[in-house]
Amino acid sequence: MKQTAHKLILSLTATILAAGGARAYDVSLSTNLPPIDFHGFASQGFLDSSTYNYLGDTTHGSFLFTEAGVNASLNPFPRTRITAQAFTYDMGQDVGKYDVVLDYASVEYTINDQFGVRAGRIRRPEGIYNSIQDVDLARTFVLLPQGVYDARWRDFYVSMDGGEVFGDISLGKSGDLSYDAFGGVFRPQVDGGLGKKIGNQVPSFVKLDSFGADPQSGLQLWWNTPVNGFRVGATGGYNFDLNFDTTAFGQTSLNHFTVPFVQGSVEYLWKSWTFQSEYFTYWVDPANGGSDHDDAWYADVAYRFNKKVEVGIYYSENDNDVNQRANPSQYQKDVALAVRFDPTSWWIFKVEGHCIHGTGLVDQSSNEPNLNSGKPWYMLAVKTTISF
Amino acid sequence: MKNTFLKLGLLCVVLTAGAWRALALDGAVVIANSGVAADSLSADALKDIYTAKTKYWDGGQVIIIAVLPDKTDAALLQASGMEASQFKTFWQRLAFSGRGQEPKTAADANALVALVAANKGAIAIVPTDTALTGVKKIEIK
Repeated sequence: MKQTAHKLILSLTATILAAGGARAYDVSLSTNLPPIDFHGFASQGFLDSSTYNYLGDTTHGSFLFTEAGVNASLNPFPRTRITAQAFTYDMGQDVGKYDVVLDYASVEYTINDQFGVRAGRIRRPEGIYNSIQDVDLARTFVLLPQGVYDARWRDFYVSMDGGEVFGDISLGKSGDLSYDAFGGVFRPQVDGGLGKKIGNQVPSFVKLDSFGADPQSGLQLWWNTPVNGFRVGATGGYNFDLNFDTTAFGQTSLNHFTVPFVQGSVEYLWKSWTFQSEYFTYWVDPANGGSDHDDAWYADVAYRFNKKVEVGIYYSENDNDVNQRANPSQYQKDVALAVRFDPTSWWIFKVEGHCIHGTGLVDQSSNEPNLNSGKPWYMLAVKTTISF
Repeated sequence: MKNTFLKLGLLCVVLTAGAWRALALDGAVVIANSGVAADSLSADALKDIYTAKTKYWDGGQVIIIAVLPDKTDAALLQASGMEASQFKTFWQRLAFSGRGQEPKTAADANALVALVAANKGAIAIVPTDTALTGVKKIEIK
């Protein structure tokens, strides 16, 4: 299955290249029905790091950094849209593993600009990038600030089964307010990013058996201010029951957590400049008491010189425990510089360098060298994407 | 006294008439499929369309945006408030998160006009000197 997915990605890539470029494909069903609109993308990346392995076996260089998706969209009735996307990815062979997933599949009905409903498997709105964090062509950087958008959590954090209500409300001269109120369930996988994170945090004699469906609800607001290109966002949400079973010495334990989270966002698009900053914080609260409080933030600037070249830089910080901000094994501070090339309208190529202090996001269960050193280490990220 | 009021009244008329003057896009006009009921749009309504706040015409027909890359970037900026690359990224984010459809593109102005003529609900910005065969012009107020 995984080899099949890999071959499909290569076939998709070759087809697009052979076609000499990318354009959306429309397929007509009949004279009475509108056409189905198809789009897709395929990305291949390379990661190389000094000192520590991060997002794969990167100290030896890793090409296990692939993403591909194909989506279809149809407007069969007035104010109605049906859309779906299949997606596959691999990151370091620990996450993704070329499993083909139904990324989203929803039916949407828009009553007016102020109110619409969407139900099915939806991309969860949170901040600037959560709903599109694996869409390389929709941003400057290869790697988003990982403390806010951890690529290893994609299997459960990006899509959910449920629904949302959405709309835009005019505030007159004060701009307008966009809202997305969502609710549904997550379905983390034992062999996914969250499963691996939990596995790294429990003793080796404890085995993670399964996850239960995790109900979550939340609200994303965007104030589109009267200043053209400037918007301010806030997301709040609550995981009602992040639960999983573990087995140790033949005994099964049920583990339950609630996880409230908050994210604030600012974005300003001014001429060829893009300015963004976000802060994300969450609490992991076990049912039997206690709390673990994490947070992360970043600020980035990007400038597009012309149609073909864009440069960006960001600084990000992640703290696994807000009470241990001085502990190098609990924080990760990252300065990234990226150059994006757009040789054609359907092909992009990025090169990015990172200078990182701390190992808060490094896999701490593996045989990594001293995680408390606090010395800088480096990462190179290269990625290319074609799209149609 | 009468002359003063007369002058003030004329001034008000002039100022008010100026407020209702049609918005002229930079070297371009807005066209739509001939099945679109609207003959005019406000600048705000046009921006709402190009920024995905308004996705359907009044009758429920989906709005299909078509663009001519490079040729009408200045007018696109006036309509959407976004540079061409930002506009493209904006719509890619919507399309790949299941929240919208990317605008269709055409290689030249005549192909764009043909695309708009062939797609119900389509709207586009074309250079002023384009032959508008089979489409209607939308006045922007």
